[in-house]
Parts: sequence; C-alpha cells; structure tokens
Amino acid sequence: MGRRDRALGRRLLLPLLGLLALVQGYPIVFAAYISFHDYRLTALDQVRWVGLAQYQGLADNPSYWTAMTNTLIFVGGAVTLELLLGLALALLLHRPVPGQNAFRAVVLMPMFITPIAVGLMFRFLLNSQLGIIPVALRSIGVEIDWFGPDLALFSLILIDVWQWTPLMTLFLLAGLEALPTEPFEAARVDGASGFQILRHLTLPLLRPVILAAVLIRMLDAFRIFEYVYAITRGGPGERTETILFHIYRVGFLYFRLGEAAAMAFTLALVILILVVVLFYILRRQEAWA
Amino acid sequence: MTTVTRSWAMAIPARRALTRRHLGIGLRLSLLGLSAFVVLFPFLWVLAASLKPPVELNRPSLWGFTPTMANWVEVWLGSPFSRYFLNSIVVGVLTVGISLLVGAPAAYAFSRFRTGGTWLRFLILAAQMLPPALFIIPFFLMAYYTGLLDTVWAVTAAHLTFIAPLVTWFLIGFFEDVPRDLEEQAMVDGCTRWQAFLRVVLPAARPGLGAAGLFAFIMSWNEMFYALMLAGGHSKTLPVAIAGYWTFRGVELGKMSVAILSAALPVLVASFFVQRFLIRGLGGGAIKG
Repeated sequence: MGRRDRALGRRLLLPLLGLLALVQGYPIVFAAYISFHDYRLTALDQVRWVGLAQYQGLADNPSYWTAMTNTLIFVGGAVTLELLLGLALALLLHRPVPGQNAFRAVVLMPMFITPIAVGLMFRFLLNSQLGIIPVALRSIGVEIDWFGPDLALFSLILIDVWQWTPLMTLFLLAGLEALPTEPFEAARVDGASGFQILRHLTLPLLRPVILAAVLIRMLDAFRIFEYVYAITRGGPGERTETILFHIYRVGFLYFRLGEAAAMAFTLALVILILVVVLFYILRRQEAWA
Repeated sequence: MTTVTRSWAMAIPARRALTRRHLGIGLRLSLLGLSAFVVLFPFLWVLAASLKPPVELNRPSLWGFTPTMANWVEVWLGSPFSRYFLNSIVVGVLTVGISLLVGAPAAYAFSRFRTGGTWLRFLILAAQMLPPALFIIPFFLMAYYTGLLDTVWAVTAAHLTFIAPLVTWFLIGFFEDVPRDLEEQAMVDGCTRWQAFLRVVLPAARPGLGAAGLFAFIMSWNEMFYALMLAGGHSKTLPVAIAGYWTFRGVELGKMSVAILSAALPVLVASFFVQRFLIRGLGGGAIKG
C-alpha cells in the first residue's frame, strides 16, 4: 500500500470523524461538564460547579438503585429467555420444512416494529377490561393482573421477548447455516443422538455467534424505555422504573439535568464493564479453539 | 442445506428415516405454526380494533362487529397525523442520506487501506453502543440554545449519533465483498483510486448500500426516545404521535390502532428486502455471512 493510498484513506475518514466529533464528541464532553454542575432546566442562569457531588449523591439515592436493579433484572431475564427461545426457533427453522421461507419472514416480523407501538399493542391486549387475553383467561377462571405490582416487570420482559427473540433467531440461524457439515455427518454415522449432537457439537461451534448476539441484545435491552413509557410509567410504585426512564424523569420531569447526566455516566460505566467481561470471555474461548 | 438432509437420510435405514422424518416434520410444523400465531395475533387484534365502531371497542372480540373505515378516515384526513408521517420520512431520509455520504468513504477506507487499524474500526462500533441517556441531555440543551428544539434537524442530529456509525459498520462488510480485481482493473485502465471507488466499487456494492440505507431508515423511523425529548410539537415523528393516543389525558383505541398499523406496514414491507442482508451487515467484515 503506497503513501498516496494512506493519505487518501485518511481523507476518506475525515467526514465521518468530523460528524462524530460534532454529534458524539462534543455532546459527551458537554454531558461531563453538566454532570459536574448543579444544572437545572428551571434555572439555566444559575449553573454552579459542584464537583463530584452529583455522583456522590447517587450512592444513597434509593430510587437510583431501584432503577438500576430493575434494569439489571429486566436485561438478565429478557436476554436469557430470548436466547433460549431464539435458539429453539433457529433450530426449528434451520432444517427444511414446508413453507420455511414464509415462516421465517413471519417469525422475524416483530423486530421491525417501533417499540412504542409494541408497548401500546400489549397494553391494549393485556388490559383487564378491554384486552382479549385477560378476558379469555377469566372465562377459564384465571385472573391475572399483568401490570400489577407482582407481575409488571415480568410482563415488560415478556413483551421484550415477543419483540426481540426474532433478532436472536436471525443471528443464530445465520450461525447455523455457516457451520461446516462434515462433523455433523460424522457424528450421525457414529450414531450420536440429536440431543448429543446439539449439546456437544452445535452449541460449542455456535459459541462465538451466541456471545455476539447476547452482547448486541444486552446493550439494546439496557435502553428499555418505550414499554415503560407506553404502559406503566415506572409504576406501580417503582416496580418498573428502569434506568433510562428514571434519567428521563429526573432530567425532564424534575429538571435536574446535572443529576441525570451523572446517572447516565454511571450507566455507561456499568455497560462498559459488562462489555469488557463478555469480550474477555469471548477471547478466552477463542484461545482454546 | 439439501446436503445435510440427504446425508442424514442415508445414514439411517430408509423406512425408519421416513416415519421419523414425518413425525419430526409434523412436530416442527405445529411448533412453527404456534410461533407464527403468537407473532400474528397482536396484529390481527389491532387490525380488528382499527375497524371497530367506538361502542364496540369496549367489547374484546376479533369478529362479530360491523367493520367501519371511520377511524382510518379520521386519523389520515381529520388529524395532523399525515404531517407526522411526513416528518418521519424527512428525518429518515436526511439521516440515511448523511450517513451514507460520510459512511461510504470511511467504510471504503477501513476495508481497503485499514486506515486507523482495528482499534479505530471498533471504536466506531463502540460509539454506536453508547447509551442514549448520555447524549440526550447535551442534545436537549444544544437544541435549546440554538433554537432548534422541535425541528426535524434536532432529531436528525440525534439519530446520526447511532445510525452513522452503524451504516459505516454495515458498509465495511459489503465493500469487503467487492472483488479487488475490479478496481485494480479500472486503475490499470487509467482511473485514479477515487474514480475507481466512485465508478466501480460503489455501483458493485449497490445492493449492500441499498440494504444499509433501508435498515438505517427503519432504525430512524422506529426511534422514539430522542424524538420525544427533542421534538414534541409540530415536528414530532410517528412514534411520538402514536404515544399520544394513550396518555393520562385520554384513550383513543381505534385511532391508536390505525396509527400503529400505519407506522408498521411500510416498515414490514421494507423488512422483507433487508432481512437477507442484515447478518452480513451487522457482522461488519467480522463475521462472514
């Protein structure tokens, strides 16, 4: 590669780097500045430096910890269920079956719908007076309050599972299709059962794809906002107050921008730690192979 | 896929294979049918609700009412909904246009010259994973100070934070698939590197560019968090408009159902074109699809 190519490469990158400096670099620096100040939307002319006070304040802020815990429960629950269901669906769709392409197209549909619409659809479907699911359940004598204190967070997890299992399926299906066929033929000739093949051949070979899919889904699940906004607005009590919704509440309903910015940075830190841990696991497993 | 089945059928005695395979297909078909039902049911429910006269909405049922187009007419002709629809198109087109404009040259530089090395490539990907909570507060204040609150420009800028890096990441993979011989031949014929990129590589990567653009449009079309904070008035986009049909102030289920379907249908149609490209794109040259 010549020097002219290298110079051209740098020039081609410039527009993107310029744009990202403008829409990411500057805002992040500004957000850090805001988080070190008492920055209120109602008193923009009285911004004052408070150093790390906003961050220290989070340590004994019970609502913040509730929101973090709810978010971690949500992410853990949703991603686990999506992985299990997504794997099952991918295995079902992988082998030829009549109408395979139609099934595939239908099953992938939910991930393309705007999450607010999905949230409202399920709020409607699960509504105890207007929704067909509670009415149908009541007719067989089952009474479930989907958005009551006990079940609300779980119901939001189920909605997430409905919408995002398809993404998991899409990834795993692509992973399955890229696998070499020889080891599977050999295993069958040796008389391995379907379950043995899955346990000792398919899953180990799929591991990198599984980790990539889990990582992408996890990062996205941390952004849970629309279902909460559409259905529960954090309630009952603080049972479904997730971190992004809490940041929205503190920043835009209580106007405490400084505190909200500090929360956003701690969230980014939590996510960063999780990503590094996942990458570390991925690396180690590649080293074995 | 056909080789897998054939070898499998050969590996076990013919008659056993036949019955087992029939049983297997029956089971898999019913499981897939169940999944398709779970996916399609909410859409059917909302479709029914959009066709119900107001009095029927309090009675949860899928049929047994006289369908009416009143909700559809009211939403599309008697409300500003069509303007919000247009806002979403404008934001989407601006976001996709800018993303492709800055993303394509950068992706080419990454794919051919390895400019910036692996770490810069992954930095771009990591930038796309930062939580929106980090950006929303500075973006809100920047839009406020510049008088851009409640304009499509504020929403577009916010969408670029995650869509421009994502499009770049997609295009790296698609450019890797364009054979290098093509541009080398063009350069032998007297083109410069840049001319070869414009006249040979870009046209050859057209399906990839189209898929990346369409996927980016869907992401922008479906995004609500930024749009809600930055443009809640006459510049609101579809997801924000949809959220407005069920608030503490009132519920309009029929109209909400129309709005949901109107937002979902175009994207579902578009999704059938991008599904095939999605995995190659998300892999960004890291996973061979």
